[in-house]
Amino acid sequence: MSQRALVRQFILGNFLFTTDESALKDGDSLIRSGVVDSTGVLELITHLEEALRIRVPPEEMVPQNFDSVDAICAYLARKVPA
Amino acid sequence: MTTLLAKLARIAADDPARIAVVEGERRASYGELWDQACRFAAVLAARGIGAGERVAVLLPNSIEAVAACYGAWLARAAIVPLNVQARARDYAVWLDHARPALLVHEAGNAELDAAIASAGLEAMPRIAVGDASDGAPGWREALDSTTPAASLAELDPAALAQVLYTSGTTGSPKGVMLTQRNLAANVDAIVAYLGLGAGDSIVSVLPFYYSYGSSVLHTHLSVGARLCLEPNLVFPHLVVERLARERATGFSGVPSTYALLLDRVDMAPHDLSALRYLTQAGGAMSPALTARVRAAFPQARLYVMYGQTEATARLTWLPPERLEHKTGSVGIPVAGVEVQVRREDGSAVPTDESGEVWVRGPNVMQGYWHNPQATAEVLREGWLKTGDIGRLDGDGFLWLVGRRSDMIKTGAHRVHPQDIEEAIAELPAVAEVAVVGVEDATLGQVVKACIVRAGELTADQVKAHCRTRLAPYKIPKHVEFLAALPKTASGKVRRVELIESKATQGAT
Repeated sequence: MSQRALVRQFILGNFLFTTDESALKDGDSLIRSGVVDSTGVLELITHLEEALRIRVPPEEMVPQNFDSVDAICAYLARKVPA
Repeated sequence: MTTLLAKLARIAADDPARIAVVEGERRASYGELWDQACRFAAVLAARGIGAGERVAVLLPNSIEAVAACYGAWLARAAIVPLNVQARARDYAVWLDHARPALLVHEAGNAELDAAIASAGLEAMPRIAVGDASDGAPGWREALDSTTPAASLAELDPAALAQVLYTSGTTGSPKGVMLTQRNLAANVDAIVAYLGLGAGDSIVSVLPFYYSYGSSVLHTHLSVGARLCLEPNLVFPHLVVERLARERATGFSGVPSTYALLLDRVDMAPHDLSALRYLTQAGGAMSPALTARVRAAFPQARLYVMYGQTEATARLTWLPPERLEHKTGSVGIPVAGVEVQVRREDGSAVPTDESGEVWVRGPNVMQGYWHNPQATAEVLREGWLKTGDIGRLDGDGFLWLVGRRSDMIKTGAHRVHPQDIEEAIAELPAVAEVAVVGVEDATLGQVVKACIVRAGELTADQVKAHCRTRLAPYKIPKHVEFLAALPKTASGKVRRVELIESKATQGAT
């Protein structure tokens, strides 16, 4: 599974409660729309750490890296070069 | 009594370069804030908007939200702050009920657009902050094209200043009406016990459309202090970094705010030595969490407070030096407020006996906007029935022991079960639904929906439907399917039983 698919599947299933791919736009702010809150973002990060065997240090837990599917994928691409 | 507007005008005149609001990398001085407020007032005046009218503000905490508020007051209008996390169904009800002469909103709010279409409010004048691609004129252009004409004649203290909606229930919206006098009196009382001054600065995560956040804003601006806005608590360490970087002297939160900070952030590397006061309201904080907060911020005084939107914000405060001996109490009345505990028949109870908390003071609201029935239920001969159950001890300290209503407190939010029940009942496969609050270690309470099915329905389908219809914090964390709802002989749902069945297997 691609990193993007991994991220989308987790957000759709856990925060949007659906498998409908059209419910999530990759450029939309997850924070402003209330899709992720402080608990959700931690669940997402934990999931990515386990699935991709990475560690996200606190200084990298910032909106620039986690506010949208696109931002998360860009961050992961830097972290785990494909 | 000096109005909040007159205080801001004076500080802007005396010390225009002093920083008033910090928002991300943006900083607005008192002079700049006042200039924006004067320009917005001129925009309103040019449109003929003034006394007796309302300006709705649907903005996240921002410099513009502050300028819109004071600018509306300068134009003699009242403001109606709306919850930015709400959904189309809420906006449709509130806007139709408040009938604002103008709506200031963030550009690109799809929920607002849906509400305007569904409620037939296309003709309502609007100004958009941000990229004005959706047709409404832009805030910046509107302000730039006017000449600020500030002639500050004294405001009428009895004039309506604010209408704050506390529920979106379609049946009867409750918009708390507060006058300039209400706001000024409560601000003065809070400033006095916190000892706030121009040297103070606070980091605030509390939205202005809630009474707590509104109170933090106006108390600090009234003394020339600095307000640093943090948009949310999604990344708690950023809030702590802001506290350290700004050398903030204060911080305000609800119990879950403190739980999140302490659970998620290592305070040790951060220099928080400037922090001198912490305030906590929005529901009882456990003694264990209170002790953790005191240990984590040993140099700061912790003020436990209690209040209601219907009383502007604050009713009581616990002097920090009494915290040790009165842990669990919400303290003594703020200046000008009287507190009584009464029986159902309205008679006063003796010391240490429980009853409903009644309050009186210059901060008590005028009533609910266009809702005389709801007003009559809580305002009696100058007293406000809070709906909270409590007792007064021999030293005059108030202890809360419960609430008469079914309202759910989750994080900083107040949620009425009916609001969520209405949304869930829209699903055809729902025969009956009851919503309750169940305990949660971090948020205090979370929403649980108990549903009797009339067809095929999964918990995820319920949650997905709620996501489209309700603010995110109203989406049930738990959904339980039951064969029947427990009811009294008269057919009323026994909510207590549903709360107690939290551990029921099969709940998700």
